Amino acid sequence: MPRLDTKDDLSALRTSLAAARSHVRASITVCGGTGCQASGCRAVIAALQQELRAQGYEESVHLRVTGCHGFCEQGPIMVVEPGNIFYCHLAPADMPEIVADTIGRGEIVERLLYTDPVSGNTVRAESEIPFYRAQDRTLLAFNPRIDPRSLADFVAVGGYSALARTLAEYDPEEVIREITASGLRGRGGGGFPTGRKWASCRAAPGDEKYVICNADEGDPGAYMDRSLLEGNPHLVLEGMLIGAYAVGAQHGYIYVRNEYPLAVAHAREAVEQAREFGLLGRDILGSHLSFDVEVARGGGAFVCGESTALMASLEGKVGEPRPKDVHTVEQGLWNKPTTLNNVETWANVPLIMQHGAAWFSQKGTKGSKGTKIFALTGRVKNTGLVEVEMGTPLRTILFDIGGGASDGVAIKAVQTGGPSGGCLPAEQFDLPVDFDTLAQAGSMVGSGGMVVMDEHSCMVDVARYFLKFLQDESCGKCVPCRIGIDRMLEIVTDITEGRGRPEQIDLMEELGETVRETALCALGKTAPNPVLSTLQYFREEYEAHIAQQRCPAGVCRALIEYVIDEEKCTGCGACTRACPRDAIRGEAKKPHAIDAGLCHRCGICAAECRSDAVVVR
Amino acid sequence: MLQQVTLSIDGAQVEAVRGTSVLDVAVEYGICIPHLCHIPSLSDFGGCRLCVVELIENSRSKVTTSCTLLVQDDMVVRTNTEKIRKLRRNIAELLVAQAPNSRAIQDIAVRCGVSQVRYPFRNESCVLCGRCVRLCTELWSARAIGFVGRGKDRHVDFPFGVRPDVCKQCQACVQHCPMTITPCDGPMEPGEERLCGKCEAQLLIAESAPDSCIWCELGVGFGCARHAS
Ligand SMILES: Cc1cc2nc3c(=O)[nH]c(=O)nc-3n(C[C@H](O)[C@H](O)[C@H](O)COP(=O)(O)O)c2cc1C
Ligand code: SF4
Ligand code: SF4
Ligand code: FES
Repeated sequence: MPRLDTKDDLSALRTSLAAARSHVRASITVCGGTGCQASGCRAVIAALQQELRAQGYEESVHLRVTGCHGFCEQGPIMVVEPGNIFYCHLAPADMPEIVADTIGRGEIVERLLYTDPVSGNTVRAESEIPFYRAQDRTLLAFNPRIDPRSLADFVAVGGYSALARTLAEYDPEEVIREITASGLRGRGGGGFPTGRKWASCRAAPGDEKYVICNADEGDPGAYMDRSLLEGNPHLVLEGMLIGAYAVGAQHGYIYVRNEYPLAVAHAREAVEQAREFGLLGRDILGSHLSFDVEVARGGGAFVCGESTALMASLEGKVGEPRPKDVHTVEQGLWNKPTTLNNVETWANVPLIMQHGAAWFSQKGTKGSKGTKIFALTGRVKNTGLVEVEMGTPLRTILFDIGGGASDGVAIKAVQTGGPSGGCLPAEQFDLPVDFDTLAQAGSMVGSGGMVVMDEHSCMVDVARYFLKFLQDESCGKCVPCRIGIDRMLEIVTDITEGRGRPEQIDLMEELGETVRETALCALGKTAPNPVLSTLQYFREEYEAHIAQQRCPAGVCRALIEYVIDEEKCTGCGACTRACPRDAIRGEAKKPHAIDAGLCHRCGICAAECRSDAVVVR
Repeated sequence: MLQQVTLSIDGAQVEAVRGTSVLDVAVEYGICIPHLCHIPSLSDFGGCRLCVVELIENSRSKVTTSCTLLVQDDMVVRTNTEKIRKLRRNIAELLVAQAPNSRAIQDIAVRCGVSQVRYPFRNESCVLCGRCVRLCTELWSARAIGFVGRGKDRHVDFPFGVRPDVCKQCQACVQHCPMTITPCDGPMEPGEERLCGKCEAQLLIAESAPDSCIWCELGVGFGCARHAS
């Protein structure tokens, strides 16, 4: 491949790519992301390749294997053009039919279409799917259009032109001014203004500087950074190049979570390609920018995503946070000025430089601009990656995109912001999702996790679950986090197991405040959120556990009782046979009964009973 | 050349050398900020969080540890506000509930105003203050001991659990360990753990006049930097 020495070389490459692709009659896009790989897309792709060859479409149909589209629950998925036809839950055996019918005769294979769980209607076009339609896919829009392993694909959709333009037309200060004016704030959790971070790093004394991309993504259930890096690594690289130019860095690192092999592979490949094309290295695109990037694998702990821990880990030390009285923009990696940004933050940068700060800041709210990707999971009909304009009400995300409650039980709360985010109740669903509003409401945007809970979720148990996660992930260095979380967990466990005392609620609130104020790093500082927010909005559930020894959601095993509804029981004896404790008695064809003393509340009987006669009380 | 800066601690204008920490400066001026993991002349890692102060910037206050905060010109620091007293009392309560079997920890609890312990006592033998680790690493450059494990599993140990040759058994780690100082009434057996609080009289002076260190006995117990230097 030719080295791109100037901006004009890049445009020439783009033109020649367009010409070379003009003969393509049709295209099939198959998602090859981690989610779809889990549901077997590789076999589907192999079968499809074979079938295209067999039916003679190898040349005229362009098969593109892309990164994640964000609708993994439907995977493996495919989009056929022309027609924008969307097929889901594919199996290798479906391929001959798709190639013969859809490619060959332009007919639709009805049984492979998507059925909207809300309306029950089948949907033909990808663009008509409600899950996608209500989103604003600005960053994710690239994923279905490019093969992440092809620099040419990225260039063909306009890639690296923002870099070329920036290098030719802006000086570093102007870049920082543009990013500042755009209002971009960090997507990694803190929401720190990116322009301000870059300006401090540029101003920090020293010639040797670093930029780092944080792709450690340790929040359970979150995968937006994985999808971006895996599906569009060059966009992230382009952002880092622009950032390096702005702050004056010569070296960069992409720090990728250890459990993301595909993202690591794609990032490495992208770096190698970029070097080949001269987009990394010396005098990039004829400018004075010299910059290279290394891909490093994460230290394997959640806390390694914290900025100072990440840098320690890159230096080969134990990934533990240090106090930040001296900021990393002044003394970061190897004590040199360092700019660390999240994957999604970097991905926004080229778009801002391409379309301008004003274009970016027209979307969003006063303090939060642009779009944000969320990972929607839990008790809604549609789950997946959701990109929306900042300021979109929670309700839109949960109901228009998520399709509402998944099985007829009302949605009670949504937990936003990852393990140390907060739980917001249904009364707050009209809140616009932006950094400041969610923080005010006692939660946070965080990195974009969104877990939906319904009436079957016990909020005390939810708090316990997240505390447990944070206890496991605390590095243990500082007292408030190590001991404070442990004590909060002790108290919450007491409450869920029926040993709670009323004064423990106040104690936990006071302790939570102390941990929030005094912990060393943001893991500890935000760790009380799950407790404090559930205490704020679901206090009555805590009180029910303590005062009435009752778990309203019927989750906490120590506080519930399984009983058999005599009206419904047919006396079939299925429960008796299934019970591991021999706690159920009754004559055949007569109502059975559970001996509460023997029952250890495993719930097996309830699962076995075909008449729904075993109920929780 | 040593550069002097002027800052304000609890309303007093004090002069200090650039590069020193607010905690060191405060202690030197007789302003008492309780602390545990800090040892003068060793690096500070901000682990115990007892030395928290309020840093006032643009009329907004931020809580941070004074051992890791370097003095700067025109810095405004408050060490003894209502908020700080409450925060450090709560941290000290966590500590004494965790490891009551030490005069140092009991002294810290008294100094920080802990008058009741609202958690069930545990009887741990290490508070992970890291004094031993940093002493061994930084003063002797021996690295014979270090932290192992994460979170609840974190503990101090030899590399791979075996005493390496670089350890000369100098016992410096033991001398600086707050957990080797037994409570005045002798060790507490399991089940006997309690808040001692006998020195509460000392507290009256320390709390009412925190900016006039009187070399109180509590400082001896927890190896306060003023006694150490
Ligand atoms: C415990 C902990 C884990 C974190 N994990 C991540 C992560 O996986 N990815 C990330 O981008 N930021 C993470 N952060 C936030 C980073 O410390 C840092 O703020 C961020 O990478 C800065 O980039 P941004 O300004 O673009 O958001 C984490 C913070 C904490 C306290
Ligand atoms: S807050 Fe938690 S994770 Fe952060 S330094 Fe303290 S113990 Fe480690
Ligand atoms: S052994 Fe003693 S000095 Fe070392 S960390 Fe534990 S309490 Fe601190
Ligand atoms: S954190 Fe400052 S003395 Fe321990």
